Amino acid sequence: MEVSQIVFLILTVTLLGAAALVVTTKNLFHAALYLIVSFFSVAGMYVLLEAGFFAAAQLLVYIGAISILFIFAVMLTRGTALITPLNSQAGAVGVMSAIMFAILAVFLWPAPIRLQEVILGGFRLLRGGTYGGEPWQFVPNNADTAAVVNNATLRLGAALGDFAQYGALLLLSGALLLVGVIGSIWVARERKIADTRADRSEAAADARHEAQLESEAEAREAAALPAGAHAASVEGQH
Amino acid sequence: MLNGIPLHWFLLVAAALFCLGLFGALARKNAIAVLMGVELMLNAVNINLLAFWRYVNPAGTGGLAFTAFVFIVAAAEAAVGLALIISVYRNTQSIDPEKLDQMKL
Repeated sequence: MEVSQIVFLILTVTLLGAAALVVTTKNLFHAALYLIVSFFSVAGMYVLLEAGFFAAAQLLVYIGAISILFIFAVMLTRGTALITPLNSQAGAVGVMSAIMFAILAVFLWPAPIRLQEVILGGFRLLRGGTYGGEPWQFVPNNADTAAVVNNATLRLGAALGDFAQYGALLLLSGALLLVGVIGSIWVARERKIADTRADRSEAAADARHEAQLESEAEAREAAALPAGAHAASVEGQH
Repeated sequence: MLNGIPLHWFLLVAAALFCLGLFGALARKNAIAVLMGVELMLNAVNINLLAFWRYVNPAGTGGLAFTAFVFIVAAAEAAVGLALIISVYRNTQSIDPEKLDQMKL
């Protein structure tokens, strides 16, 4: 077994273990910390795939920004962190996810099983085609490929800045981020007066109470004054 | 670095991560944990994109550019989603998705 394979298996164990803890842990703060561990393992996967730029971006964007956002959200919603972790449909969802993974694994598994070729070949035969699919064309692992991979970040930057390729999309996604950030500030802002639900119901109760006090005071005034004086005062008003 | 790791190892790990994220997004009783499941699914997609870029077409930039856009959209999604959750928590003192049925007919 080679070193890269051992590294891959270690990363796999930490990634899937941390992800399983993220989706099952009761304490949400611990779930956020396990999420950081799984992000780290994904960054290791990117290093194995020789995509160094994205490993760095994973550290900066996911671990540096998104994880902190999650931790802040967990802290700002205190008191809800210890409710039961799974809802009533968890069993059905677990079975469905397991079946989905089994189907994916059957179709992704290589040579020894070949179940996917049996199924896909059967479909093709049914539709009048030939048995057997087209395999992916892998690039050879030689010096040319290494040179191409090594300047990938350079070519990515050129492609993102080139308006014939992804330039317009990059500008659009910048606008998307700006609008998203401004919108989230607007949505999560502190409401001052009678803006939240509790505030509104409180204000309505206050108004009702004041109206009642006023009408009571008027009734007391009317009772205290003699009838003639009351009539005179009413006439005087007119 | 890549010597000895076949492509389907990456694809299988990404599939397992995606299914775990799906379970988290559908089965958790807390809106923040639902967003965590969504983030796990996005990471699985990124692993797939970069694996196919590296094994099938490293001379192109399609896989890299797509991964970059997934990063951007994931960041915007996390910011907006968590702001919504905080706003909902201020209004109802609860972030259980099952209790958020005020907009039901």
